Amino acid sequence: MSQPQTLGSKDTVVQLFQHFAEELDDQNDRRERLIKSSRDVTNLSKKVIFLLHRIMTEETDEDDHTLALRAATSGRQKLKDIQKILGSMQVELRGNLFWQNQKNISPGLQEYIEALSFAHYLEHGTLISFQEVQETLSDNGAPFFPLPMSDYLLGLSDLTGELMRYAISAIPRKGGRMKADEVCSFVRRCKADFAGLTPFVKGLAKKQSVTNQSLQKIEDAAYAIAVRTSEFDLPPDILDDIVARCVSGYETNNHGRKAQRWQEHFDSDDEDYEYRA
Amino acid sequence: MDQHDLDFINSQLEGDIDLREKIKEQVHEFDKKTRTVVGLLNKVHGTTSDKIPSLLDDVRPLLVDCRTITASLAQLVPQNQFWRWKDMWSNSIRAAVFGAALVEYLGTGTLITVVKVNEILGIHDEWKDRLALPAEDYLHGLITLVNELSRLAVNAVTLGNYEEPIRISIFVKDLFAGFSMLNLKNDTLRRRYDSLKYDLKKIEEVVYDVSLRKLVAPPGQRPQPTP
Repeated sequence: MSQPQTLGSKDTVVQLFQHFAEELDDQNDRRERLIKSSRDVTNLSKKVIFLLHRIMTEETDEDDHTLALRAATSGRQKLKDIQKILGSMQVELRGNLFWQNQKNISPGLQEYIEALSFAHYLEHGTLISFQEVQETLSDNGAPFFPLPMSDYLLGLSDLTGELMRYAISAIPRKGGRMKADEVCSFVRRCKADFAGLTPFVKGLAKKQSVTNQSLQKIEDAAYAIAVRTSEFDLPPDILDDIVARCVSGYETNNHGRKAQRWQEHFDSDDEDYEYRA
Repeated sequence: MDQHDLDFINSQLEGDIDLREKIKEQVHEFDKKTRTVVGLLNKVHGTTSDKIPSLLDDVRPLLVDCRTITASLAQLVPQNQFWRWKDMWSNSIRAAVFGAALVEYLGTGTLITVVKVNEILGIHDEWKDRLALPAEDYLHGLITLVNELSRLAVNAVTLGNYEEPIRISIFVKDLFAGFSMLNLKNDTLRRRYDSLKYDLKKIEEVVYDVSLRKLVAPPGQRPQPTP
């Protein structure tokens, strides 16, 4: 910058502010572009999550594991498109620019992590690690931008809501009750892991209370199953049929409402809707 | 999550917390210094123009003293993380900009540049990925300056200095013309800019009062503002 040390006349003030005007316009334009890209990332990530749910509830003869692998593979394919967008954002996020704009991209980033971790869970049954997420956001080992720990944790804590949906819609399927139990204990472990971290990450406490609600929904479903099972001294496959009938009856009653809620979920960020009437 | 991952996350988060504490300490010191500067400068409202230079001489070393803080901050902030932490000291640095700008105006009648502020506060260009003076903070400091000058216009008259409001009026109008060139987004800077018009109005009323009562010589017979 070659500016005089002090400014007296109007012309020099105007000259100085011209410089600021350009700088601020630059900043604002970049911000707008990143917000747009972040929205695209959010939007596509939600679609991946739906895709995963859709495949997992398909009526097929495949066993659960094959189905989960198929879901994860299709999910990963779609996640590549999102990674491409995130990769294209890196020029706007170089060096100092990343933290200047981090708040603008974090909603998209978190939604992406949610989708990615869901696919990862279906494939491996584990939580995706920080390094694994960062690796998906890299080009030949060079990160697009530094992954903030807070976005990683906040994205992961949204996963529990998806797992709740997954567990509950798995119940009417064969072997679904086992699945629900499995998810239930996984979500419980997530809850315990995150509990210690809530004071350090802004916004995590709120997500943790959503996790609590999700967990309770799964637990309530598990309770209902336990009660029903105890009443019948029957082999598991016949019980499966009974439960299937029970849940499908519920689904027809609430069909219109449920469809509408899925739509709402898609339109808004409201993660917390109820399956029960 | 296995223990290894959990440990990694914890160590990352703890590192951030340590850094935050260290920065907080510096900001606390920074605030102390800028409060003293602003406190001293508050005396301009009751100081006659002949005593202003010695008041400014008292303030200048205090501003320069902020260099120890800027140096510590630049050392603490990791590379490329300036914007991650800067909110912690925004208010302090804006106060420092205001102090430097008021000293410059009272001393020379001119607007201080970013370059000069950086020089006074000892902010080096090569720190820019760790510590810099962004346009936003500089502009916030200037708005505080205008707020203060509108008060000074009134108080100068009370002290019998009828030319000061005229000088302030010209200076602030130029500055306002500069601000109106900016496309500000809806944030605090925008709101503060919107409130500048009340300061301008207040200054205009003082100018109107002194001109109408012929307390100040009409243009042409008035000595030029001394640079």
